[in-house]
Amino acid sequence: MRDDHTRLGALPVSRRQAILAGGAAVGLGVLGLPLIGEQAFAAGKLVALVHTQAAGDDGPIDDMIAHLKALSKEKDFPIRAIYAADPSTYQSILTTLAKAGAGIIVTTFNEMADPLKAVAPAYPDTKFVQLYADPFNPTIPNILTVEYQAHYGMYLAGLFGAKISQSQRLGYIGGVSLPGLNADLNAMKAAAASVSINAKVKGAFAGSFQDPAKGREIANQLFSSGVDFIQTDGAATDAGVIRAAGEGGNRIVSAVFRTQFKLGPKTVAASVLVNFGQSLTDQVNFALSGTFAGGHHVSNLADGIIDFVPSPLFMANGPADYVMRAKAAWPAVDAAKQEIIQGSLKVPFDTKL
Amino acid sequence: MISLVVAVLREATPMIYVAMAGMLAQRAGVWNLGLEGLMITGACAGVVITERVGSVLAGVAGAVLFSVLLSVLLWVVIEKLRANPIIAGLGLTGLGLSGTDLAIQAIYGSEAAVTAPAGIPTLGPAYGILGVLDVLVLLMPFTVLALWVLLRRTRFGLRLAACGEHPFAARSVGADPGRMRLLALVLGGVLAGLGGADLSLGGLQIFSINMTAGRGFMAFAAVIFGAAHPLGTTLAVLFFSLVEYLGIKAQLVFGENAPRDFILMLPYLATVLGIWISARLRGGAVVNSAELRDS
Repeated sequence: MRDDHTRLGALPVSRRQAILAGGAAVGLGVLGLPLIGEQAFAAGKLVALVHTQAAGDDGPIDDMIAHLKALSKEKDFPIRAIYAADPSTYQSILTTLAKAGAGIIVTTFNEMADPLKAVAPAYPDTKFVQLYADPFNPTIPNILTVEYQAHYGMYLAGLFGAKISQSQRLGYIGGVSLPGLNADLNAMKAAAASVSINAKVKGAFAGSFQDPAKGREIANQLFSSGVDFIQTDGAATDAGVIRAAGEGGNRIVSAVFRTQFKLGPKTVAASVLVNFGQSLTDQVNFALSGTFAGGHHVSNLADGIIDFVPSPLFMANGPADYVMRAKAAWPAVDAAKQEIIQGSLKVPFDTKL
Repeated sequence: MISLVVAVLREATPMIYVAMAGMLAQRAGVWNLGLEGLMITGACAGVVITERVGSVLAGVAGAVLFSVLLSVLLWVVIEKLRANPIIAGLGLTGLGLSGTDLAIQAIYGSEAAVTAPAGIPTLGPAYGILGVLDVLVLLMPFTVLALWVLLRRTRFGLRLAACGEHPFAARSVGADPGRMRLLALVLGGVLAGLGGADLSLGGLQIFSINMTAGRGFMAFAAVIFGAAHPLGTTLAVLFFSLVEYLGIKAQLVFGENAPRDFILMLPYLATVLGIWISARLRGGAVVNSAELRDS
């Protein structure tokens, strides 16, 4: 083969032809995104979900996409779910969708704050929703930020843990020490202290949301120190915590997704939930209603987006003494939930460890 | 004390197998920065094949097979296509991390963690706290010893070292450095596959995306720290794992009074310090591979 030719499959192609073909492909790709967007918009009100974590997580993003698909079938509008992996592309993705005339653009997590602030004012006809966000100050008329008070769920987990723990020593394992997770740990400590002055919570962070081996090691050290109830808060790291619980007796875990119940039918007693999918449905419906206004929305136990639920698998398969304690604890958990909803029980969002 | 030993052995064993792969490559004159990719591929293949076939043995064999295939690919890229070994190794790591992500999505339609129905056999509850140790943990000291014998007491080992240190000289006595590098990478592929399989199938029985969490790079650092010697490298990994264990302990004991981020940083700090100390003891860092000097 001569130097000025390269082999693509079985065809001899000159380097110049290969470069031209590649350039054409990239050009068509860049031009194609807005064209596709305009076609979609022409068919109805395009609703786009720009998610910054990959789909297929069996967790929040899959939940959002499933709810968006269901809503689009019900209300007959086209949808796009776009995974924005690279922060440098956030702004251009939002701009492209808004230019294409998207009616509603839903985004995820705090990292979208600055791109939204930069893009939204130039496209007043597009409504932007940011899920899991801090409030904007000042607010922008076409941006709705949604905050989740997950620490209320963690308070209930701490209450439940302190009631079912035989050693009165509880553990918490988070992925990374972030303000939200710090508040979760502090809420759990406050709940445990409300049950008994002897109830103590030890917290640790794995430094990663994707390290089950380290989760297992931290959990083993906690269990070895006398802890018999651990609240997980670390995404994929949680799987190691649940495995560690299965390596000995008197080891109970509370998870953060329903899908984790099956990993430990005898050890995962309950789960704190953040119903991202339902939240997306609620906010898109609000944006479609014609009464949409920018600002900040807080989701918590009152609207059912945050919750704490028992595992039916554990209730059927768990150790008899812990199942009995769990059943006995549940009325107190329900009562605390009502008190939080009514405002008579305050759970501070304390991010300082 | 026993719990500390058990915890350190469980954490260290997967990395020791992978570090042995890096050590063999280093001996052959290849800086293998693809260890992370080999490890994640072994971890993924082990769980997926066990889950699909229902046999842990098939899972471990699959982990070894895929790791060997990637090692051969690395050899082809370095040896036949004359690519820079460091860039090729990093590429292999990228391929392993993203390839396993893609494979999981293609097979299961989801990135969620995959659970294997069984794991590598362990000693069992009859052995008390030692019962959680699996077969690969028990075999690890013998593997390290066997590698020491192979490298120090056999013709193959001496030729491998010669090819890594002075390829010109090795060629002059009839050794083929390219072939020796292939053998080293293939044997390393076997070991890295075992390390990956031990990470995912040894106790966890789970594969999740990116679950190696930098352990392949730590193993590479251990090779440097341990001067590419089987025993030195093993001790380096055990040291890193001990620091990791103590870091967790410190977090649980002093968590309220010490900055958690600093405590989480300790294993990596120990790695940097270890490499610096080993470089000082050897009178300076190795700046290049023998093959690069050779060329």
